[in-house]
Amino acid sequence: MPERTASRPDVSTRLPRGTAWRAVVASTRNAWADFAATFTPLSWTLGWLGRIVAQVIFYALIGSLLGSEEQVRYLYIGAAVLATAMETLLVVSTSTRERYSGTLPLLVASPSALWPVFLGRSVQWLPSGVATATVALFVIGPGFGVTFTLADGVATFGVLVVLAITTYGYAFALAALVLRHMRLRNWATNLSYIAMMLVSGVTVPLTFWPVWVQWIAFAFPITHTLVAIRHLEEGVRPGLHVLGHVGTAVLVSLVWYVIGAVSLQRLAASGRRDGSIEFAE
Amino acid sequence: MTTAILPRTAVAARSYARGVSAGLRRELRELRRSPDRLMALVTAPLLTLVFVAIMLNNGRDDLAPYAVLAPALLVLWQMALQTSGDTVEAERENGSLEALVAAPSSFPAVIAGRILAVTGVSMLGFAESWAVAALVGVRVAIVHPGVFVGALVVTAFATACSALALAALFVRTRAARAFQNTLTYPFYILGGVMVPVEFLPDWIEPLTRLVFLSWSSDLIRQSLLPGPVQGLAEHVVAIVLLGVVSCAIGGFLIRLALREVRESGTIGHA
Repeated sequence: MPERTASRPDVSTRLPRGTAWRAVVASTRNAWADFAATFTPLSWTLGWLGRIVAQVIFYALIGSLLGSEEQVRYLYIGAAVLATAMETLLVVSTSTRERYSGTLPLLVASPSALWPVFLGRSVQWLPSGVATATVALFVIGPGFGVTFTLADGVATFGVLVVLAITTYGYAFALAALVLRHMRLRNWATNLSYIAMMLVSGVTVPLTFWPVWVQWIAFAFPITHTLVAIRHLEEGVRPGLHVLGHVGTAVLVSLVWYVIGAVSLQRLAASGRRDGSIEFAE
Repeated sequence: MTTAILPRTAVAARSYARGVSAGLRRELRELRRSPDRLMALVTAPLLTLVFVAIMLNNGRDDLAPYAVLAPALLVLWQMALQTSGDTVEAERENGSLEALVAAPSSFPAVIAGRILAVTGVSMLGFAESWAVAALVGVRVAIVHPGVFVGALVVTAFATACSALALAALFVRTRAARAFQNTLTYPFYILGGVMVPVEFLPDWIEPLTRLVFLSWSSDLIRQSLLPGPVQGLAEHVVAIVLLGVVSCAIGGFLIRLALREVRESGTIGHA
């Protein structure tokens, strides 16, 4: 027991007390600890990464079935980039776990607002998601005809980081909504992920769908960032064009971040009012 | 009274059947109350749309049978995997695993009953895939209905047996959920659920023959395509044989694990 107390993570930060960012940074410590408790380097590499790479190859093989090298590349890139979004969606799972653990009432009772805590709570999925897609695209991708020049590769890595951060906004909002309806947590994650696969240009171009479906797709940040990555892989170099897609993803995600923060504050307020913040069933 | 009249093996068989029946009823109740357990059936229609969209986008309507069959097989494997992992893990978390193991009824029988229930329910995935494809105008005919039904029956048997073997593995580990996650897509590739294993590199092909799904997917696909079914007996024998081997391994491992954890008293702390 004494060792356990001694190894408790230091949550102090240099940020001034009472600020939202101090709570965000403190909460990220929880995220890293959670990640370290979930994976060892070996289990992440052989178990998690191996599984994701198999998933990407599964979709690329459909291109072989179609007898089209172009489709192999198209499906490989789509599935690899989707891996980042898929991992980021795990925010819903780790956020809702706070309610299962019974820590949500304590968080609501604490002086901090709820949104900074949840904003930092699941950041562990950002580097993990970027890392899996990076390995898939740059290490295994050449075996499937996916190649980048050095400059485009660096730019693609940057877009992957943006993709993770922007999808985090969507997942943050989703988690905030699911915290009210805990039974939907796996449904929300899985349906979002497959919806992205279906309409965001991952497996078929956006133009395959009717216009109203395309409008729905625009709400997913991956729709915009994936186009940017496809342009970079094709070697198309209008930087402004790529930046335009990335910028759109950032704007869309800002809306999601705001929805998430407002929803969490409403959850806390209504929970205080009617005493509904408790252990999930 | 019964034991005085019936031979010992008949009593054991009846007791086993009771265990299977109890497990089956219990699982059906669980499935009704836990929508999460039916997640694969919820995602199957969307996955059907994904695969069908890929084929249509490339003007390959002829590959529609591949697109419709794959989600159904994914559901079958995913639900079996989920049950084999969750059954043990949930009982362990609930603190009821010890009681279940100590009960007079055979533990493997109860697990087998639960897996049978899930395998039966997961067959709905086939109906879903076909229905969703038809809704978007893609009708996949079953050219050889007898072969199709027969292939589904032996596939269901092999799936249940594989799930039993996995459940045996999960009894011994606390990382059941991690295994569950890892055993999905590698199996979908090796099982040729979407893309026939002939498309894989030659060196992988022998490995795929040890995965019953590779035989099942091939046979079911043949039943959907015009032309004669090649190697029907070979496929059926391979699927049944791999199922029997999995069942034997599963039964043996569960009994072995139970003996070990009973002796060491570690069942709740594997």
